[in-house]
Amino acid sequence: MSEAREERRPRPRNGRRPRRKVCSFCVDKIPYIDYKDVNRLRRFINERGKILPCRMTGNCAKHQRQLSEAIKRARIIALLPYTAE
Amino acid sequence: MNRYELTIILDTSLEDSDRSAVLDKVTALITAKGGEVEKVDTTWGKRRLAYAINYKTEGWYVLVTFQAPTDLPREIERQLRINENVLRYMTVRVLEKKSKVKPKPVPVRVAPAEAPKAEAVEAAAEAVAAEAEAAVEAAEPAAEAVEAAAEAIEAAVEAPAAE
Repeated sequence: MSEAREERRPRPRNGRRPRRKVCSFCVDKIPYIDYKDVNRLRRFINERGKILPCRMTGNCAKHQRQLSEAIKRARIIALLPYTAE
Repeated sequence: MNRYELTIILDTSLEDSDRSAVLDKVTALITAKGGEVEKVDTTWGKRRLAYAINYKTEGWYVLVTFQAPTDLPREIERQLRINENVLRYMTVRVLEKKSKVKPKPVPVRVAPAEAPKAEAVEAAAEAVAAEAEAAVEAAEPAAEAVEAAAEAIEAAVEAPAAE
């Protein structure tokens, strides 16, 4: 991403630049996102059961793809909800 | 030959013998068609379902890992679809390249057993935070008292000087 774009973005009022999020799967060096690892997957869905976008979680594209697949598998075998109130 | 991972959700109202009958059928089918059962994992046991399947809120989870020719999963799924004790099934191909470094899957117990633990940790963290806050708050009046005392002393010193 270019420097120019960073500069064009308006600085937040409190003068603090938002920290660049890092992909937690890259940090933990997880090569394969397991659909059975419910506790981990649960962090990436909101309370309605929807998959959070990577702009909110900071996941890299590669892991976001794997993650969405894992969450969808977990939904099939009722480890995670499709929807939840 | 590919490696597959099959998750089956069985009805919890079944007897143990009925349950193992279903599993035996699956394993027999695998070995009969030239496959090889690697592991039958029943450690998950009874689990709450994230949503009701056939009006049932609980299921008995079994995980079967096996190697088999490519046409076998379809046949197994056909058999499982006929069996009405099977609430849900899913076959997933395990990729060899990734499975070598794959971390051991975390056996997930019944969810309620884990929830209190997390809450306890949170509660402890909150308690610590509250204590820290209390300490800061306690320190503040003390500092004020010191200031007040200093002012009083100053006043006392000035008072005789004025006289």
